[in-house]
Amino acid sequence: MNATITPDRKSILANIRIQRFTPGEHKSAFYDNFKVNVETGMTVLEVLRLIKNTQDSSLTFRAFCRSKICGSCSVRVNGKPLLACSTQLMPILDDFKQESVIIQPMRNMPVLRDLVVDIDPVIEKLAKMHPYIMENRGRIPETLEQESLMSRQELTKFDYITDCILCGSCYSACSAASADPNYAGPLTLGKAYRFSADVRDSFKGERMQAAVDQGLWSCAQCRKCINVCPKDTRPAISIQRLRKMSIDDGIHDTPGSRRAKAYTDDVAKYGQVNKPMLPVIVNGPKGWAAIEAADNYLIKHGIEPTHQVCTLDGQSSTQKIYAKVKELESRGENKT
Amino acid sequence: MLTYDILIIGSGGAGLYAALESRSEEELRVGVLTKIYPTRSHTGAAQGGVNAALANLDSTDTWQDHWFDTVKGSDYLADQDAAEIMTREAPMVVREMEHWGCPFSRTDEGKIAQRPFGGASKPRACYSADKVGHVMLHTLYEQGIRHGVNFLNEWQVLSLMHDGTRCQGVTAINTQTGRVHTINAKAVILATGGHGRIYWTRTSNAFGNTGDGTAMAYRAGLPIKDMEFIQFHPTGLRRTGILMSEGARGEGAYLLNGLGERFMSRYAPDKMELGPRDLVSRSCETEVREGRGGPEGEVFLDMTHLGKERILEKLPQIRELCIEFEGVDPIEEPVPIKPTAHYSMGGIHTDINGQTEIEGIYAAGEAGCVSVHGANRLGGNSLLDILVFGKRAGKHALEYARGASFTPVSTEQEERDTQMINTMMDGKGSGITIADIRHAMGNLMAEKVGVYRNASDLESAISKLADLQEQFKQMRIQDKTKAFNTELVSALELKNMLDLAEVVTAGALERKESRGAHTREDHLERDDKNWLAHTMATQGADGRPKLEFSPVTITEFEPKARTY
Amino acid sequence: MSEKIRYGFYSGCCFQGADERFFQILQDVFAKVDVELELIVDAVCCGSGVIEERSELTSLAVNAKNMAHAEQMGLPLYTPCSTCYNVIANAQKRMQEDPAVHAQVNEILAEQGLEYKGTCKITHTLWVFAQDVGLDKLKERITNPLNGLRVASYYGCHTRNPADIQGYESADNPTSLEDILEVLGVQIVDYDTKDDCCGYHLAWPNNKLNMQMTSNVLEGAHTKDVDMLVTSCPLCFKSMDGTQAKALAQTGKNFQLPVLFLPELVGLACGMSAEDMMLRYHGVPVNIRL
Ligand SMILES: Cc1cc2nc3c(=O)[nH]c(=O)nc-3n(C[C@H](O)[C@H](O)[C@H](O)COP(=O)(O)OP(=O)(O)OC[C@H]3O[C@@H](n4cnc5c(N)ncnc54)[C@H](O)[C@@H]3O)c2cc1C
Ligand code: SF4
Ligand code: SF4
Ligand code: FES
Repeated sequence: MNATITPDRKSILANIRIQRFTPGEHKSAFYDNFKVNVETGMTVLEVLRLIKNTQDSSLTFRAFCRSKICGSCSVRVNGKPLLACSTQLMPILDDFKQESVIIQPMRNMPVLRDLVVDIDPVIEKLAKMHPYIMENRGRIPETLEQESLMSRQELTKFDYITDCILCGSCYSACSAASADPNYAGPLTLGKAYRFSADVRDSFKGERMQAAVDQGLWSCAQCRKCINVCPKDTRPAISIQRLRKMSIDDGIHDTPGSRRAKAYTDDVAKYGQVNKPMLPVIVNGPKGWAAIEAADNYLIKHGIEPTHQVCTLDGQSSTQKIYAKVKELESRGENKT
Repeated sequence: MLTYDILIIGSGGAGLYAALESRSEEELRVGVLTKIYPTRSHTGAAQGGVNAALANLDSTDTWQDHWFDTVKGSDYLADQDAAEIMTREAPMVVREMEHWGCPFSRTDEGKIAQRPFGGASKPRACYSADKVGHVMLHTLYEQGIRHGVNFLNEWQVLSLMHDGTRCQGVTAINTQTGRVHTINAKAVILATGGHGRIYWTRTSNAFGNTGDGTAMAYRAGLPIKDMEFIQFHPTGLRRTGILMSEGARGEGAYLLNGLGERFMSRYAPDKMELGPRDLVSRSCETEVREGRGGPEGEVFLDMTHLGKERILEKLPQIRELCIEFEGVDPIEEPVPIKPTAHYSMGGIHTDINGQTEIEGIYAAGEAGCVSVHGANRLGGNSLLDILVFGKRAGKHALEYARGASFTPVSTEQEERDTQMINTMMDGKGSGITIADIRHAMGNLMAEKVGVYRNASDLESAISKLADLQEQFKQMRIQDKTKAFNTELVSALELKNMLDLAEVVTAGALERKESRGAHTREDHLERDDKNWLAHTMATQGADGRPKLEFSPVTITEFEPKARTY
Repeated sequence: MSEKIRYGFYSGCCFQGADERFFQILQDVFAKVDVELELIVDAVCCGSGVIEERSELTSLAVNAKNMAHAEQMGLPLYTPCSTCYNVIANAQKRMQEDPAVHAQVNEILAEQGLEYKGTCKITHTLWVFAQDVGLDKLKERITNPLNGLRVASYYGCHTRNPADIQGYESADNPTSLEDILEVLGVQIVDYDTKDDCCGYHLAWPNNKLNMQMTSNVLEGAHTKDVDMLVTSCPLCFKSMDGTQAKALAQTGKNFQLPVLFLPELVGLACGMSAEDMMLRYHGVPVNIRL
């Protein structure tokens, strides 16, 4: 053998801890330990299959394409949701400087068995978001003799989201989804944006309302969904864009849209958010109660309350930025 | 008993298109039953493109050009009337996908973008970056949600039932509960995909591409056609069989054997690594056979000389693939590869409406064989096949179901299937595992019924497959839980694969010529005089395949030598 | 005395006005480890990711301005706020990836004679202590090791997600916070909710959910019987200290868990008093022996 063709490869006898549970058979989840010789090149899925094939054939997990395109195989490894088929195990062992890993099912979905979760609840939420094109007859011809035309620029607005493989990793990582079972979750809102941003669609209004009803403003922008998405579809960014779209479309009467307006206007005016007054700006007159409470808190701690926005010396120049952006946007030259 | 007017088995492109076409009648009950979730079907793995003579890039392209390319590519084994329908209807179905929101890449004028593809005389593969199958599958699923298509997810079909002339339905196991059900249906459309997995790890196909529908049809007495034709792709990753596109070689990557030699100089001194797919596959195989492969029977795709910058700029996705799936960074070391079984040309014999010999039973997509691909499928034609014939099958089934009545069915088959499962679950067995048999089957098929074939290898494969079938009977499932028993799922799939492996091998042994993807070392020439015919296999009373041959439909193009 | 390490200080909104004491605390604590902060006076609010909900370009331009000022000062931009870090680092990455956007932003900044070159280095308290100051020097300056204190460590989200906004350490297994805490002498306690989000940014659009999320994180730490939770993010601090009483009351829980902002604990370990750290301003009293 030519030396350059067989570089050194590592092998570690690792301890793979896997969460097990069969409803009806076990009272609660427990862990099994499997010893596996993990080599450089092995994916998490290969390790799971090796265990199933040689140590315990009852170990239950999903996998289909084994090539990062079907979204079946999401599990959590050391807490992080990822695709078992496209994740090398050795670098994780290296990262955690351990010879052991924990593999668990995704969170926020009921476990059917071992590493298999029920994704139907998420799919139901998706279905409520009208995740499809309703023909915009201004763009889509009536007959199949012609294509609808769409520029590359128009496509780029949403094309990145069409990479989504509905693997559920983002949903598993989302703390808002854990805390609020009614929250639609990142992938569904991402899809809502994808269709609403498509010039061939005519159903934006209904979809936007569905998004607002299902938690458009319940995303905390923690950005974990961006971090875990194996296809880099950046759900949290789509959520920001969807929020913008809903405001542009005239849905102004939500606390979230009022916050967006307050932040944007304040930064223009003062270079700073007018924090003391936010409760009233966002919640209307009933916000005064919150301001009073905040004042009392400060007084109790010996701080003199003020309703003045605090600014630094140089914070006046933002108007120029805003004016220029407005000018560019009105000319349709915004490059973002 | 569950009843459906039309039951579609499989939720890949063929199944979903059929569902959308057949659900247009409100009062008919249409269901899609699938062993995974719809969007996980292997249609999603297609990256390259779907062919249609839209003439967006080359205004001189016509469907007739496409027709000829298809027939020529098939090594003249395609039925020309079927290929005509497919290529003529191609622009319509692609536009329909586009109207439903499929995000095809765009030309400067905003039209659907097209790219050149192997075997096509004009650039006509419509694409969406490198994810065309994925976006098509999702578009169909989305429209399915919109139109309220009824899905039975994670149900696995076991048997197909008919009374000798008319469809009765199927039996299927609900994986989530482990219960077997009888489903009575006026019409059943089998859209269960290909059977590349008979080569086990030596395939680009998903774990579940085990030919269930094809095997089921075969066991139900229906003929299956041209099964010996399996297309190989030269560069699959060693560990998984995952496809590495031609992109790397296009950029100048070398193929090296275990001794570090650029072995293509032996086979294609001019074109070297850029020779046609089948030649490159055969060359890789020859190196390994003659003892010049790597330690695990692989050869290597070497990009290291291209340098870091060029790889990062030109081949970022290919690099990511190597790192994620093989743990190899092509900037630093050559990537181990093997030829990989890629596409099943053969399948359930149907007419141009997807209809089989039994009224109400249809097949479409890679599971079916009309045939439009003959002995060799052109890249970009299978996604087209699933659309055109999925749609036609759906449409025809709808018309049929509208007029037909239910054919009564007993629970006899359900009882037989339950019994079969119980037997597999019962006791400890011989100690042999599914994994053992699968592994042996894959290696056997790759070695003896792979890129190269000859009579003695094929004969020995037949007898070894019989051994494996015996071993399968002794095999017992160790996991005794009913709910979500993935070991049982695999066992049922293995049973199907063993049946089909036998048919593939028998067909390969019988066909004493080389045509398209079928290369016989002992019969190197194409032989139109004796073998311009479809192989029809039915299961004999002894359980062994019985082969007959039927003529190819030739309407326009007389067979000629296939040279490029 | 060894060389000073200097940063352009981007104050964000947590270090001004009613919260100005934090600026004081930071400066005092940093003085102990030879770090000097120079206020970026022309900096404006990063928009905390909210301005994007109206105009991404505006947000990029505003934050390019912030970085441009740091570039002019020739200093790395240091912000103690994880959200500011996140928003500014994101802006940097976005412009790196898309030169056309970068150019357009500079066209906007040109009106006020500014240019964002793209060279600005951005950092956060975690990496100032763990990497620039270094654990060795930090250890040297500790006069009051906090041995035996049981601490739940909490990064919050915005220095970790997405992974590619920082090149300082692994995003899946960051250790800077624990490394620092270890040097302070405390015992670090693992708990289930340490990777969850406190929901601070929902305070306005969905306060109820914010309270639920904060309560979830606190409860996870509380069940492990810790003395306190320490966070490197001032917004998480606000949520978990300032609104703790409300969050726990709304979710029907009844306990108190002291929460400290990382620099406060470092200060205490460096021999400063509870009075110096102004712990009396906390919502949840910090009564444990230190
Ligand atoms: C890596 C790769 C790349 C490719 N690239 C291209 C390309 O660029 N262009 C092109 O034209 N073609 C390409 N192909 C080929 C093409 O993708 C397939 O031929 C085509 O997608 C098959 O579609 P289908 O609908 O027939 O089957 P599939 O998509 O395979 O779907 C089969 C369905 O049947 C279901 N099923 C199977 N068995 C059962 C059972 N027992 N019970 C219930 N349900 C069952 C499955 O759940 C699945 O939903 C590629 C193939 C591969 C592997
Ligand atoms: S950014 Fe929003 S959607 Fe994404 S994980 Fe955080 S809360 Fe969930
Ligand atoms: S957005 Fe990403 S993580 Fe979420 S389901 Fe889609 S592919 Fe998976
Ligand atoms: S198995 Fe399909 S994405 Fe992993």
